[in-house]
Amino acid sequence: MPEERGKRGASQWAVAWRRFKRNKSALIGSAIVVFFVAVALLAPYIAPYPARSYLPLYEGDAGSPPSFKHPFGVEDSGIDVFSETIHGTTNDLYVGLAATLITTLIGVAVGAVAGYFKGAISDVLLGLTQVFFVIPVLLLILLFARVFSVLVFRGLGLTLIVLILSFFGWSSIAFIVRGETLRLKEMEFIQAARALGASSYRILFRHIVPNILSPVIVVATLNIAGFILTEVVVSFLGFGDANTSTWGLLLNEGFSFIRTDWWVSLFPGIAVVVCVLGFNVMGDGLSDALNPRLRE
Amino acid sequence: MVEKLLEISNLRTYFFTEAGVVKAVDGISVEVNKGKTIGLVGESGSGKSVTAQSVLRIVPRPGRIVDGSIRFAGEDLLSKSENEMRKLRGPQMAIVFQDPTTSLNPVYTVEKQLTDILMLHKDLTKAEASKTALSLLQHVGIQEPEKRLKAYPHELSGGMKQRIAIARALSCEPTLLFADEPTTNLDVTIQAQVLELLKQLQKEYGMTMVMITHDMGIVADMTERVTVLYAGKVMEVADTHTLFTSPKHPYTEALLKAVPSVKQTRALEVIPGNIPNLIEPPTGCVFHPRCKYAKEICVKSEPALEKVENGHDVACHFWRDLKLEGRGR
Amino acid sequence: MQAAQDSTQPILEVDSLVKHFDVLERGIIRKKRIGEVHAVDNVSFHIFRGETLGLVGESGCGKTTTGKVILYLEQPSSGSVLFESKNVFEIFENGNQAESKALRRSMQMVFQNPYNSLDPRMTVYDIISEAFTIHKNIPKEQWKDRVYEILRMVNLEEYHAERYPHEFSGGQRQRIAIARALAVDPKFIILDEPVSSLDVSIRAQILNLLVELQHRKHLSYLYISHDLSSVRQISQRVAVMYLGEIVELATAEQLFDKPLHPYTQALISAVPVPDVTHKGIRILLPGEVPSPIDPPQACRFHPRCPYATDVCRQVAPKLEDKLIKNHFVACHHADKFV
Repeated sequence: MPEERGKRGASQWAVAWRRFKRNKSALIGSAIVVFFVAVALLAPYIAPYPARSYLPLYEGDAGSPPSFKHPFGVEDSGIDVFSETIHGTTNDLYVGLAATLITTLIGVAVGAVAGYFKGAISDVLLGLTQVFFVIPVLLLILLFARVFSVLVFRGLGLTLIVLILSFFGWSSIAFIVRGETLRLKEMEFIQAARALGASSYRILFRHIVPNILSPVIVVATLNIAGFILTEVVVSFLGFGDANTSTWGLLLNEGFSFIRTDWWVSLFPGIAVVVCVLGFNVMGDGLSDALNPRLRE
Repeated sequence: MVEKLLEISNLRTYFFTEAGVVKAVDGISVEVNKGKTIGLVGESGSGKSVTAQSVLRIVPRPGRIVDGSIRFAGEDLLSKSENEMRKLRGPQMAIVFQDPTTSLNPVYTVEKQLTDILMLHKDLTKAEASKTALSLLQHVGIQEPEKRLKAYPHELSGGMKQRIAIARALSCEPTLLFADEPTTNLDVTIQAQVLELLKQLQKEYGMTMVMITHDMGIVADMTERVTVLYAGKVMEVADTHTLFTSPKHPYTEALLKAVPSVKQTRALEVIPGNIPNLIEPPTGCVFHPRCKYAKEICVKSEPALEKVENGHDVACHFWRDLKLEGRGR
Repeated sequence: MQAAQDSTQPILEVDSLVKHFDVLERGIIRKKRIGEVHAVDNVSFHIFRGETLGLVGESGCGKTTTGKVILYLEQPSSGSVLFESKNVFEIFENGNQAESKALRRSMQMVFQNPYNSLDPRMTVYDIISEAFTIHKNIPKEQWKDRVYEILRMVNLEEYHAERYPHEFSGGQRQRIAIARALAVDPKFIILDEPVSSLDVSIRAQILNLLVELQHRKHLSYLYISHDLSSVRQISQRVAVMYLGEIVELATAEQLFDKPLHPYTQALISAVPVPDVTHKGIRILLPGEVPSPIDPPQACRFHPRCPYATDVCRQVAPKLEDKLIKNHFVACHHADKFV
C-alpha cells in the first residue's frame, strides 16, 4: 500500500526483473546466453583462423586431436574445430535471432488483429495461422535448399533459412497473441479506453500489445533455441551451405569420422547443447518472473 | 447447560510469503456454544476465513498455525495427526465455501461427489450411498433430484451448486458447520433461499453453525452471538442484539454507520483510510489509524480483550468512556 | 440525499432499447446461429440533469448490457438513445469524428471490477492523461496540473500519479477509475456496480465521493447495481429490471416503501437488513433466476409469481403509471398493492 511518500513506484517490468534476479538457474541461463552472444560478436577478433580456413593443413596439423595449439582439434581437411565453432556461433545466433525477430513481429501483428477484430479479416488471418501452423517447416527448408541450391551456393544459405523460418514460423506466436488478445479484449480497461474515444489503432498498440508482451517474450526466447536447432539439423543433413561456418556443418563433416576424429563432433555438439540449454533455462526464468500474479 | 463446543484460544496463523510474513490471524480467541449460530464478521484481511481453515487444519501453504490452541468438544485439535483430523472432517466438522463453482469438482457428477464422501466416512455400499445422496438433495430443496444427481456442476445454476455444496457439507451430519460467505456470489433472491435453507437445516440437524460474513444484514438475521474481527484481531464479542444496539468498539460503531439499509435512506458515515497491510500492521491498536477516537495510547499499546459484562467483551482502551451509537433499540 | 433536478428536459432519453445476442454453435466453416439471448427487451427511461437513476436487478436481467449499449460499447439491435436531444447511435454509426468524440467526452462509465478496469502497464498519470491525448483539448503544458487537480478531486495525492495500479487497494483503484472518467469533464456517468467488489468500510467512501462530485459538477448518473441498499442511498428514482425488461420505475421512496410489482416486493424483502429490530417476512420466490435465452411468454415473471393468473400467462403487461402518477409498473394485478 503506497501510503509512504518516498517509496518509488514499480512497473511490472521492474517487479519482474527483481524476481528474475532471484532465480539462480535463470541467471545461469542468461549468463550462458550473454557468453554466446559475446562470442558471436567478437568472433573476428578471437577466432584463431578465418572462417573455413585450411591453414592448419599447411601447418601440418591436419587430423590432429585436441591440443594446446588446437583446443578442439583439427579436421582431416585441415579446418580448426575451435575456430570454426566460434565462427559458427556468429552464424547460428544470426539465424536464431533474426528469424525470431521477424516471426515475433509478424506473429504479434497477425495475432493482435485476428484477436481484436471480428469478421472476415479475423477469420482469414486465423485460417492462415492454422494452415501455416501445420506446415512442416523443416521439410520446406530442405526442399527450398535443393530447389534454390544455386542461391545456397552463392552464400545465401543462411538467409534462405532465415527467410523460410520467418515466413512460416510465426504461427505459434500468432496463436498465443490471439488468445491473449481475445482475453484482454473483454477486460474493462479496454472498454474504458473505448468509452474515452480511443481508436482501435490506439487500443491495439497502447493497451493490448504491452499487455501481451510477457508470454511473447518467453516464447520468443524459446524460439531462438528452436530456430538454432533447425539450422543445425538442416546443415547436418547436408542441405546447408558448405562455405558458411555453422555448427551443423561441423557436425555433418564430423559424422563420418565420429569413431576416429571424435573431436569434430563432440565440441560443436556441446556448443549446441549448452547454447540451446542456456536459452531454454533463461526462457523458463523469464516465464516465472513475468508470471502476472502481481496482486499479492 | 450451555456447552462449549469450540474454544479457540489466542490463535496465530501466519503466511510466510516472498514479500514477508502476513499475520492473517494474530491472537484470535473465539468460543462457540453448542447448538448456536455465531457470526464471524469482518472485511477482507480480517482473518475470518483463515480462522475457519485453521480449525479444520486446511490452511493453504505458505500458511501455518504458529501459536494458540483449538479445542473441539474438549479435545485439542492442534495436537492431532493429519489422519485423525481426516476422521473429524465430515462427520464432526464441515465447511461450505463462498464460490460453489470452484468448490465443486467440475469433472465428477454430483452423485459421485456426494457418494464418495458418504462411502468414505460411513460404511455404506454404493447403492446405499446413492440413495442417501438422493434424499440429501431433496432435503436441500433441489427440484428433480434424480436428474440433478447425474448432472455435472457446470450444468447447474449458482444457487443449485451452493445447495449441493451444502448437501455435501451436511452429508455426514457434522456437529459444527462453517459457512464461509455462502451467499456472497449469489443473486439476492437466491441468497434469501439459501439463508432460509441454512436456518431450517440448522434447526433440523441441531448443528452449531459459524456464519462467516462481511454483511451486517446477514449477521442481524442469522446469528445469536457475533465476533467482530479486524486485521487478524478480535475487536468485540457480544450477543447480536447487544452488538447492534449498544456496541462498545469504535470499529463496530463505524461499521454499523457505514452500511446502507434497504429500509431507510440515511447519510453514510465514512471510515477513512484503508484496510491495513498485514505484513506490517499498525502498532498498538490495529484500528487506530482509522479510529476517530484514537489517542496516543492507542498507537503505543495494544488493548486487551476486556469484559464489559457477561458475554460481552471488547478490545479498546476507552470503551468505558465512549458513548457509541448503535442501530435500533 | 436529494440532488437538484432540472426537470424540464431530460439529459438522457432511452427509447425502446433492444439488444439481442446470437447464440452461436461451431460449424465446419462458419458458426451457426441456434438461439437468441434477449438481453435487453424494449427498455425505455429518462434521466434528468443532476439526477441519479438506479437500475437494479439480478444476474441476467440486462442492466449491465443496457449501460454498455447506451454508450455504444455494444451495438444495439434497435431503439434509440438521445443525449441532450442528439441521437447517440446515429452519431456513432455515421462515423463523424468530431461529434463522436464530443459524445465520448460527455458520457462516461465507471466499471465494476477495480482490478480489471485499469491498464496494469500504465501509470496513474498515463491513465488520466490518456483523455488529453485522445481529445487534444488541453495544451501539453497544463497536463500535469490538470492531472493533479483531478487526483485531488477524488481524494488522492499528487505522488500517486507515478504509481502503477497494482500498488493500490481496491478502493483507491476505483477512485482512479472515477478520476479517469472525470478527465474528460463529462456530464453523464454510468456507474456499473462501482462498489460491489469493495470492502464494506470502503464502499461508503466511494459512494459519498460520487454524491459529492455529483453536487459539485452537476453530474447525472445511471447507477447500475444488484445491491439495493446502496441504490436506495444515492438514487432519486429507481428502475427494476427482470429478464431484459423494466418491471417497475418510481422514486426511491415509492419503490422501496410501497413496491407495486411482485418481483420488486420479493427483491426488497430478500435483502438482509442490518437491524436487529427489523421483523420482515421474507418472500421466497420459487425456482431459479431464469436464463434470458428463452424467456417465458407474456409476463416474464409469471412462472415464479405468487399472484399469477391466466391473463399473466397470455398477455404481456405494459409499463404504465395508471395507478399512481409517475410510478410505473408492468403488472396486471398491481392494483392489489396500492
